[in-house]
Amino acid sequence: MNKLDWIQLCTAFVGSLGFGILFNIRGRRLLTAAFGGFLAWGLCLALGEWITTEPLNYFIVSLLVSVYAQVIARILKTPATPISITALIPLIPGSSLYYTMASAFQGLSDDFVVKAVATVEMAAALALGIIVVSALSRWRVKWKFSGLK
Amino acid sequence: MNATEQLLDCVMDLGQQMLVCGGEVHWIEESLCTILRTYGATQTDVFIITSSMVVTVHTADGNSYTQTRRISETASDFEKLHALNDCSRWICKDHPAPEAIRVKLHSITAQTKHYPLWLDFCCYGIIAGAFTLFFGGGFPEAGVSLIVGLLMRTSIWLCDRTISNKIFTKFVASLVATLVSLLALHLGFVSGVDKVMIGNIMTLIPGIGLTNALRDLFVGDSIAGLLRTIEACITALAIAGGFFAAVFITGGAGL
Repeated sequence: MNKLDWIQLCTAFVGSLGFGILFNIRGRRLLTAAFGGFLAWGLCLALGEWITTEPLNYFIVSLLVSVYAQVIARILKTPATPISITALIPLIPGSSLYYTMASAFQGLSDDFVVKAVATVEMAAALALGIIVVSALSRWRVKWKFSGLK
Repeated sequence: MNATEQLLDCVMDLGQQMLVCGGEVHWIEESLCTILRTYGATQTDVFIITSSMVVTVHTADGNSYTQTRRISETASDFEKLHALNDCSRWICKDHPAPEAIRVKLHSITAQTKHYPLWLDFCCYGIIAGAFTLFFGGGFPEAGVSLIVGLLMRTSIWLCDRTISNKIFTKFVASLVATLVSLLALHLGFVSGVDKVMIGNIMTLIPGIGLTNALRDLFVGDSIAGLLRTIEACITALAIAGGFFAAVFITGGAGL
């Protein structure tokens, strides 16, 4: 763990906390959501040691954090989406989007394509992780309902 | 209005508020179906997209009732969404009368707490500063980024009060952020604008919109998903437009 890792972990927490406040999340839900941001980036750093393909790393982290959100949602009896969205904020490819824009402006078309593809890949990996978990949780609910009949 | 119509009216209000607060389309459809079925509906046809709701309920005596709602604007308010989720659980469990649901909905709207506006402003600054550090910027960059975030939020506030067009607001916010960042660069406070801009882009970015869009598409709510995708793409274009405009005005130095 170097200095940048620590800074990133702390700012991931602060960033998620800030977004939680913008989304009007309160109390224990706000804290768990902000901790989710910390967790998401921690996992990303830890898994990054083994998984060098960035989209795959993002996909796995997104899966794990969505599971975390589902568990928290069950405990606090609240919808899972607000928590998973807030927790995954540090994974949004803002930096890669900016460099995509900058290379578009400078007319570096090869560079632009490479960066644009990387940005879309990361965003898609993130969304896919959320989708898989929300589909699985829905499947469980349906199974539970049909069991009651 | 008879009892079924009153009930449908209340349930529509509940669904509408869930949608306005940022609930998922699929989840709201499921909630409304479950609620109406616990009241003895033989068939429920619920169709929701981000801008409209159509619900038809068929009763045991062979009648059917339909209501629609137009949803014009949504804003994430997850505290209220949490209360509405509790309310829908309560309706499924206790089967209250329509009047009781109406009273409950009014009290949720009235009692949901909101953070004060100044905190919203501070959050923009703090988020921008935090993500500048996160993406490898130094402390001077983070300081500038914080100020840019505050100014950007101020410009959003001014736009909301005057023009009130979401896309234009994003354009102006991006324009202001880029101009102030470039100004800070020329005054020598920072050595590059990239980290400052990245921190500020995080608050503007339609990342959540795009994630929601992809999720809606993948679970089969194609129309809702397409609407959200288009919205996210146009927002991204507006941000890029503001950025390009600002760089053009200043001559394109220092990217």
